[in-house]
Parts: sequence; structure tokens; C-alpha cells
Amino acid sequence: MNSSMINALMSMSAMQRKLDLIADNIANMNTVGFKRKTASFEDLLTTIKQQDGRFAQEGRKTPLGFTIGWGVRMTQAQLDLSQGSIQRTDNPYDLAIQGYALFEVITDDQGTRAYTRSGAFRAQLNEDGDVVVTTPEGHPVVVRDEGGAEEPLIVPAGYALQVDAMGRVSALSADGSDLQELGRLKLVEPVRPDALQAVSDNLFVVLAGVDVDAVIRDVQPDMGNSVRIIQGAHEQSNVKLETEMTELLMAQRAYQLSARALSSADTMMSLANQLRA
Amino acid sequence: MLRGLYTAAAGMIAQQRRHDTVTNNISNLNTPGYKQVTAVGRSFPEMLLHLTGIEGEKPKRIGRVNTGVFAEESLSVHIQGDPYLTGLRSDFAIMSDLQVPGVQFDSSGKAIDEDGNVIYQPQAFFTVQNPDGEIRYTRNGSFMLNSEGYLVTNDGSFVLGTDNNPIQFPQGIGIEQLTLTGDLRFVDSNGADTGAQLLITVIDNPNRLVQEGYGKFRLNDEDADLARPAVDGDRFEVRQGYLERSNVDAAQAMVDLISALRAYESNQKVIQFYDQSLNKAVNEVGKV
Repeated sequence: MNSSMINALMSMSAMQRKLDLIADNIANMNTVGFKRKTASFEDLLTTIKQQDGRFAQEGRKTPLGFTIGWGVRMTQAQLDLSQGSIQRTDNPYDLAIQGYALFEVITDDQGTRAYTRSGAFRAQLNEDGDVVVTTPEGHPVVVRDEGGAEEPLIVPAGYALQVDAMGRVSALSADGSDLQELGRLKLVEPVRPDALQAVSDNLFVVLAGVDVDAVIRDVQPDMGNSVRIIQGAHEQSNVKLETEMTELLMAQRAYQLSARALSSADTMMSLANQLRA
Repeated sequence: MLRGLYTAAAGMIAQQRRHDTVTNNISNLNTPGYKQVTAVGRSFPEMLLHLTGIEGEKPKRIGRVNTGVFAEESLSVHIQGDPYLTGLRSDFAIMSDLQVPGVQFDSSGKAIDEDGNVIYQPQAFFTVQNPDGEIRYTRNGSFMLNSEGYLVTNDGSFVLGTDNNPIQFPQGIGIEQLTLTGDLRFVDSNGADTGAQLLITVIDNPNRLVQEGYGKFRLNDEDADLARPAVDGDRFEVRQGYLERSNVDAAQAMVDLISALRAYESNQKVIQFYDQSLNKAVNEVGKV
């Protein structure tokens, strides 16, 4: 087997994975709060055919040995957490984050936490008739009250949800006479975004076995940072079609070139076979 | 035996090596910091042929002949790749144009002085430490912060700071808050120094670097004195949010690919012609 063939094969499968990633980004172009993933490439281990001292002829520029590379691989996908554009919806349960932060939600009865950038929340009635604010999949949003206790965001029956730019949550009665403080939205800042794993439903979780406090930290909107909450708005995905199409073209052309190298290597093998026609 | 048969076979093997090298360049068309490799051939040692054994005549000199070729060295071309904007704060690109006093380099990074000595342009590299604790050099600045706060490359090698230790940031500091200053210090979002400074190593003759894969180069022990930490006044800069594109020229690679294939084919034809001559000699000479 000649190494051109293995090399071209590795390269084509790496390009295929890149195409898959771009396809995922493009497919989620209109997903609220979606963050695009990027990946770059890295060449594979190089083998060195050793040469003895007699190869050190005059005019040689490099150290002894002839190096042969074995192709390329796609590196781990990295999250691009840059800001998406804000679109007004005027739905009180739509919250958008401006700045570098994520919402925290509870995904099961044990209180397991996940993080999301998507603020397209829903109102769900619980058995008392109160409104629980959840993600479309039913995961409640976490708020923190004055005392620092974390609990699901529940708006009493007959009250309307109000969220200000600093993430303070309150409930206003229908006649406007009563205002109840419900605490502040719990927001986290991903400090090590590479340790966050994107799971389904636009959620991120901290990888098992990794210290949660090392990956994320609490952040509260205040004058010292630029994190703000906008009620009645969506954050669009940060996928830009032009960027994705450019990347798509480059990956496709690289794939084509590798396919050419493969067919050329095939021709060489056929020539070797026909030596004694 | 026909001498040229082996010459042509050697030619086929050498073209195969060339083809392998070009294929690897094509594979790494989109690899940040990748440096194009050229396979350089060398002819077999020269022989002098004499015609001897003719009665009454002195031995006659026929001439010199090389009986083959082999791929001798793989030469990395260390010219600058284009920077491109990725917007990720964990991406870094080195733009370097290091100068040697009194020497004017051409675009391939080479200069020849009055005495005919060739001088190669020094190049700047990120300094990393692989899992075995050895020092390696790379131009691929696609880094990330791992969960322990170390700045690492894609395959988990540590990026070194000017104190020759892996760069580590305390818990609570993320890459989004870090900015690389012009003198390669990392400052946080308030402009306060984090104490980490990126170590850039200058290699005086980059041809002596051995390509190791995973974007990394190493220096053999005998060449260790070619590396020095970058100093003030070296002409290079490190840009955050950019990566250095591979310096492989796709059009050139395609031409090289075709030329290697056709040269391989020509050598194959030569072998076939020798084979036909042998066929004649064996089966037809002396036929009655």
C-alpha cells in the first residue's frame, strides 16, 4: 500500500467531518440562542525514515532522516460563544442575554443543572395553578432569592413576569397594585468553555468528572460588567451564512484535491502492476 | 546486466516519495501553521566508465554515469502563511519577518553573502512542552484553556511562558477576559497583569528543525544552540483572534502531483523498454 493512498484517505475523512460540522451550524441558523462550533485541523504524526551518516552529503540542509506525513485530523470542536443578534418578540417569557453569560436550568428531579443561551422560555402551570418558567422541553429556570437560595422560577397565579436589565425578577398583579420580588436570574459565565459539552435541546453540561466551579462562575449583571437581560426578545444564532459557506467551499475543494491525489496514487499502483504487461 | 533497469526502478521509487510528500501537503491545505514540505532528490554516487580489453588499444574513457536517484531530504518551506481572522480569543498567529544585520533576505527566506555562504531567515515559534516534558516548537496557535487553567494546544501540550513553565491561569479567569499585549503579556479585562508572558523562540536556521507531526517541530540535540528566546527588537508580532493559514500552494501542489505521476510513468515505460530488449536478447538472438 502506498502512503499517498492512506494519506488522502485520512484527509478525506477529516474534511468529511468538517463538512458535517458546517452542516450542523447551517441547519441551526434559525435556532434561538444557538452557538456555532468551529474546528481546525492538525497534521498527523510524522514518521522518519532513518538514514545513516553516509547520507550527510555536502549541500544537505536538513538533519539526517526523510520525514513522511500521514495526513490530517480535525481537532476538537470549539464553541464560538460570540453574541448573536437580538430580535424583539414582545413575548414576556422570551429573555435574551446580552454579554457573556448563560442561563441555568434544572434538568431532572435530582436538581442536575444544565446551561443554555436560549431564552425562549415557556409558561407551564403546576398543580397549584402557578406559572413555572421553563425551557420548551420543560426544564425550569433557576432564580436566586435574597438569601442566596436557588429555586425554580415560579410566578404566582394571576401575576405577570417582569425581568429588568439587571436580571431582577418580579411578579406584577393583573391590576398593577401588587409587586412581588422573586429574586434574580441565576447567570453563569463559562470560564473554560472547552470543558462544556453541547447536548441536545440547545443545552450545555459540564463534562462528568470535571470540577464545576473551575468551568463556570457566577456572574450578575452590574455596572462593572456588560451582561444585560432583555425581556421580550430572542437572541438569534451567531451563525453567519457567509462564513459557513466560505468554510464549506474550502473544505469541499480540499476534499476534491485529496480525491485527485487518491486517484493519482491509484494510477501509480496500476502502472506498477503493468510493468510486465 | 542492463544497468539502466535499476536506474529506472530507483526513479520510480523516488517519484513515489515525491508523490507521498505532495499528498501530505494537499492533506494539510487547511491546517493552521503547517509548513509545506518539498522532497529533494539526489542522484546515486557517480561512476566513471572505461572501455578496456581491446587488443592493441589503450583503455578508453567513456564518461561518468549516475545509476539512480533517491529522495534524500524533506525540506520544510518556512515562509509566512497568511493570517486569517477567526474571532476566537484562544487563537494566536505569529507574523514574523526576523532580520539579520547586514543581510537582505529574498521572498523564500534565503540570502547569499559575498563569500557565497547561504544564510536562512530565522523564524519565530510558540514554545510548547509535550506530555513527555520535551520542548517542541509550533506555529499552530490554536490553543485552549483546559479545566485546570493551563493554556494547551489541540493535543494537550502545554504552552510555555517566559519563565519556561507551562502558562496557567487561576480559577475564575477565562480566555474571554484575557488579552495579549504587544509585549506578549496576558492582561485581564481590567488591564491588570496576570503574570503570564508567552515565550516565543527564535530558530536561527529553521531547516534544521525536524517535523514531528501534530504541528510540532523539534531540534536535534546537536542543533540546540540554534534556539534562543525572542528579545526586544526582533521583528515579529503575535496576533490574538487570528490563525496562520497553511503556506501550501494548492496550484503548485496539483502541478507537482501530476509531474510526479508522469515522471513515475516515464520510468515505468523505460523499464518496459528494457524488458523488451531483454526479451529480444533471450528469445530471438541465435534463433535459427
